[in-house]
Amino acid sequence: MSLLELKGVGRRFGGVVAVDAMDMTVDEGEILGLMGANGAGKTTLFALIAGNLRPSAGEIRFRGRRIDGLRPDRVNRLGIARAFQIVRPFAGLSVLENVAVASLFGAGRERSIRRAEENAFEVLEEVGLSDRARDPAGTLTLAGRKRLEIARALATRPRLLLLDEVMAGLTPVEVSEALQMVLTLKERHGLTIVVIEHVMRALMRLCERLVVLHHGVRIAEGAPDEIAADPRVIEAYLGRARE
Amino acid sequence: MAEHSRFLALLAVAVAAFALVPRLGGDYAIGVALNLLMWIALTQSWVVLSAMTGYVSLGHAVFFGAGAYAMVLCFGSLPFWLSVIVAGAATGLLALLVGYPCLRVRGPYFVILTFGLAELVKFVVINVEAALGQFGRLLFGGPGLAQIFYVVLVLAAVSVIVTWFVRRSRFGAGLRAIRENEEAAETLGIDVARYKVLAFALSAIVPGMVGAAMVLRTTYFEPLDLFNPITSFTIVSIAIIGGGDDVPGPVYGALFLVLMQELLWANWPEVYMILLGGLLVAFVLGVPDGIHGRVAAWRKARG
Repeated sequence: MSLLELKGVGRRFGGVVAVDAMDMTVDEGEILGLMGANGAGKTTLFALIAGNLRPSAGEIRFRGRRIDGLRPDRVNRLGIARAFQIVRPFAGLSVLENVAVASLFGAGRERSIRRAEENAFEVLEEVGLSDRARDPAGTLTLAGRKRLEIARALATRPRLLLLDEVMAGLTPVEVSEALQMVLTLKERHGLTIVVIEHVMRALMRLCERLVVLHHGVRIAEGAPDEIAADPRVIEAYLGRARE
Repeated sequence: MAEHSRFLALLAVAVAAFALVPRLGGDYAIGVALNLLMWIALTQSWVVLSAMTGYVSLGHAVFFGAGAYAMVLCFGSLPFWLSVIVAGAATGLLALLVGYPCLRVRGPYFVILTFGLAELVKFVVINVEAALGQFGRLLFGGPGLAQIFYVVLVLAAVSVIVTWFVRRSRFGAGLRAIRENEEAAETLGIDVARYKVLAFALSAIVPGMVGAAMVLRTTYFEPLDLFNPITSFTIVSIAIIGGGDDVPGPVYGALFLVLMQELLWANWPEVYMILLGGLLVAFVLGVPDGIHGRVAAWRKARG
């Protein structure tokens, strides 16, 4: 059985259709890539899955259970964590406190502050931020904030992790490090991951399967090399060749 | 745990010292100490909601006034201490009822909404009193000054304990996450609507009980005094002067404001309000993190 299943999911904003009749499944243990130009509906799709937006049509199932229409905190407790594209650190709290909060709530719901801080420190070690644990989160660089975003999502103890452009704006060296980190985290925590990325190199390296969105519609799905050769994808990205 | 025992020991010493005031001091000393304790209790309660969640209430006078009104209604039929508890339960309930709709709006809208709510309740009470044919009520035969003092001392201690433990709890961690970024907090599994309403109710109980005790000090119930918006403004001023989202801020802020009031009032009564206003402006501009922030920075610098 697939871990996450979308059937006919749609979302319109007034007259604009952001996501239209979307069918998609995510299997346990895979890394699925979502690609598409700006405005294709990728982030909207994440918001629909994570409960930040309600679908106007269709149904979403996680481990067989309907989750569409649930509040974000309920969805998170069931085991879906979302790392935002536009990072949202708790800037006034320390890096450690940021992650400890996630451990106290989320699907793990740790009751003791001390144990939550211990968990948080372990997660920070995994993402390479443990030397910044006591600093205010507002002092981190962009690359650091992206790592913090992942650390927080991870500390909620999810089964499914939604990563929204966590590589955007990073230098090539930082991208390589982040790729390795995501792969390591997936293995260590037995995660299933859906990633949105513009960095093609990252998608090619991470994903076994890609889904391509264009104007809210799925136009292609397949292995990375198939997608790269698909004429519909090339057309959506580069436009039609002149006759 | 060492942190908790040190805090409780310090609190016990402070409470014991205050408890001696009615035995050793005259009515003036009791009055000043009572004033100090009242502001500490009100501001600690405010901190649980506003400093921790960032939802700034400019209407906490509503709980003070509603508690006083509950006392007026119970007066003569219930014992003093029981009326104080009834007042706390009533204001907690009031906050639970209005909290859910109020806390749906953020930022300046919430500030104005709380201010408006306090004014609304004030005029409802005035009209109810008028309909009952009451224009100001005299409350004779209530407890003496010392008895009121001890009740407010207990309330101040309770408010300090509440702030201390909330600040160090899972609940408090959730509240502070809401302050920093509500959408992120929700996405990390925090039931933000429930947490905000709980914080609102928790911040309303002690102010209601303080209002209930303090109305007996003047032996006269006048809604315009007890729902006075100046009470709300003073709470926010003390919190800003004190700084932070923990126990020390309101204590420093209340000490500073009450001592300044006494000092300025005694020496320069004609320019008292001007000096006080100037000091507030200087604080907001020069010491945005408050006395607590300065003390913490100084301690850190000393190692």
